[in-house]
Amino acid sequence: MRYADPSASRDLLGNRTLLFIFICAFALVTLLQQILYGRNYIKRGLQFGWQSGDPLANWTGLLNVTEDPAVQSGNDSSSRYFEFYEGPFEYNSTRCLELRHEILEVKVLSMSTLSRCCNAPSFLFTTQKNTPLGTKLKYEVDTSGIYHINQEIFRMFPKDMPYYRSQFKKCAVVGNGGILKNSRCGREINSADFVFRCNLPPISEKYTMDVGVKTDVVTVNPSIITERFHKLEKWRRPFYRVLQVYENASVLLPAFYNTRNTDVSIRVKYVLDDFESPQAVYYFHPQYLVNVSRYWLSLGVRAKRISTGLILATAALELCEEVHLFGFWAFPMNPSGLYITHHYYDNVKPRPGFHAMPSEIFNFLHLHSRGILRVHTGTCSCC
Amino acid sequence: MSPCGRARRHTSRGAMAVLAWKFPRTRLPVGASALCVVVLCWLYIFPVYRLPNEKEIVQGVLQQGTAWRRNETAARVFRKQMEDCCDPAHLFAMTKMNSPMGKSMWYDGEFLYSFTIDNSTYSLFPQATPFQLPLKKCAVVGNGGILKKSGCGRQIDEANFVMRCNLPPLSSEYTKDVGSKSHLVTANPSIIRQRFQNLLWSRKTFVDNMKIYNHSYIYMPAFSMKTGTEPSLRVYYTLSDVGANQTVLFANPNFLRSIGKFWKSRGIHAKRLSTGLFLVSAALGLCEEVAIYGFWPFSVNMHEQPISHHYYDNVLPFSGFHAMPEEFLQLWYLHKIGALRMQLDPCKDSSLSTS
Repeated sequence: MRYADPSASRDLLGNRTLLFIFICAFALVTLLQQILYGRNYIKRGLQFGWQSGDPLANWTGLLNVTEDPAVQSGNDSSSRYFEFYEGPFEYNSTRCLELRHEILEVKVLSMSTLSRCCNAPSFLFTTQKNTPLGTKLKYEVDTSGIYHINQEIFRMFPKDMPYYRSQFKKCAVVGNGGILKNSRCGREINSADFVFRCNLPPISEKYTMDVGVKTDVVTVNPSIITERFHKLEKWRRPFYRVLQVYENASVLLPAFYNTRNTDVSIRVKYVLDDFESPQAVYYFHPQYLVNVSRYWLSLGVRAKRISTGLILATAALELCEEVHLFGFWAFPMNPSGLYITHHYYDNVKPRPGFHAMPSEIFNFLHLHSRGILRVHTGTCSCC
Repeated sequence: MSPCGRARRHTSRGAMAVLAWKFPRTRLPVGASALCVVVLCWLYIFPVYRLPNEKEIVQGVLQQGTAWRRNETAARVFRKQMEDCCDPAHLFAMTKMNSPMGKSMWYDGEFLYSFTIDNSTYSLFPQATPFQLPLKKCAVVGNGGILKKSGCGRQIDEANFVMRCNLPPLSSEYTKDVGSKSHLVTANPSIIRQRFQNLLWSRKTFVDNMKIYNHSYIYMPAFSMKTGTEPSLRVYYTLSDVGANQTVLFANPNFLRSIGKFWKSRGIHAKRLSTGLFLVSAALGLCEEVAIYGFWPFSVNMHEQPISHHYYDNVLPFSGFHAMPEEFLQLWYLHKIGALRMQLDPCKDSSLSTS
């Protein structure tokens, strides 16, 4: 100390000290402010004021890119499978009945509570009957996720399934494959009693000749809503306009597929209610989806997720007597070897490795050859 | 303490400062800074100014009486001040003129948080402030319980431009007291959150509720707090979806901030000004005559009878956020000098009160 700088300990109001004092004072004042005013702030749960806001409640705003489960292409388009079904199509109702039985009665071994597979006429949609108030609905993929059916959601469900077994004579399930382009199947599709469509396909005048306009059920993938319509958090009229095109078609959503889909799907119901649209909104029962994918897994469809088309076709097999598939083709060439686009309206390829499209198509062709359903791959003869 | 050092201090005080500058490795005088801090804290906790309590304010108002005369010069002086500080004619709302694309702005209710106006936001703004300025007679209607049974409805409706705060109910049971006309209604994002679930679900109730404000502007402080932006924009989307008559205006954060500074310099110690004071300040800058109704943040009226907090309910606000009595005193002062008219008594009769 003796030889230290003598002014070292006597710098009462030097620059450094002053600075330090001010910093200290500022810090303390800020701290006190937080303590004095902050206490109320926390206690009241951020509820007061000109503009306090919470993080948007119960919305996990992750941009989810669920894969578009439209018809997707496999890489190998080998025509050797093709001869497989090249036979005259004749309707084989006993076979069909057998298969229907099979679909109904495949036992799900892993879950003892489920005695029957699928059973679309009572389990295709969530209804007030099969999902009573207070049910803890399990998601299809997020197995840990559970959705509590509260009063508000419960009121959105239909009383009971709107369709019963073999209600319709002739059903058409319209996929979006590029094979439909220039197929001129529009009239034949329109002549069906009941028409399913997948993933909000365009049915504007440009495509009417090939895909028809009649629609009774159209599925919407929540990823489409997320990407094209901002999760319906912003404008909603554009989405409503798109749905209006399908006139009275019911909208079918996989709301309980995973946790990210639920809010968006429920919002669709609100949108249609707000615009006083007569269109009904239905949600796939997650258990039905699980059962269907188990069923197809047993038939060799190994995919992360089976496509919407396959689910619709499975449901159609139970609801209709005759099932016609249009636009189910997932290969870059049509049966005559001409290159086709991926969808009939665009050529956006899907993410690989999500759906097992070729395997699904082969299964359809197999069913076709057994006369259970009919896969249309060529141009339609009528008109 | 070496004698050498002491001698040095005695001899050359000026040199010491120089030395301190030269040799910055000084020991910190703990005692001095602690004292300083304690004094500052003391002043902070027990401020020198003291606000008169509720009773005293009511007494003061009663003593001075409600006799009032318009003072054109005072109004003009105040409008000039307002224009100098905040320029409400141009900055009142976000417009394409005052907030061009790519401009970055600071949120006024957040600490260091800015945003850049992008294409999608820019397209929501009107070209310019959509009022026909100057407005002649404005009425700013607060939601104070003093309006209940005041019978001021007709007098309010006589104004050319009626401003209301925070989406108040205007149903027929209140028409007699608060009138039915409105040209500008403010809406807090917090209200959107609490009453309409942030407009994330059904929007019909919201649209139906807005119908009573036919053709008015919905004024939303979208850029004051982070969490308020999304709900405010959603109000715009909702109303444009259904083609409603109402137009959404977004408050300009710069305007709100400069008004906040203006009143802070006049001694309002609040975290944030109330919507009412924002509106009154804007009205004083935009209108030639301003009358304010329902600004009475006390639990008793002039005759010492208890009144509800709002004219429609009695939900008390959260303390410590707005400094309502201070704001009231400022407005009372403006009333006294004649820059605006504050209606506290029940309106007698429309013909009598306008004369």
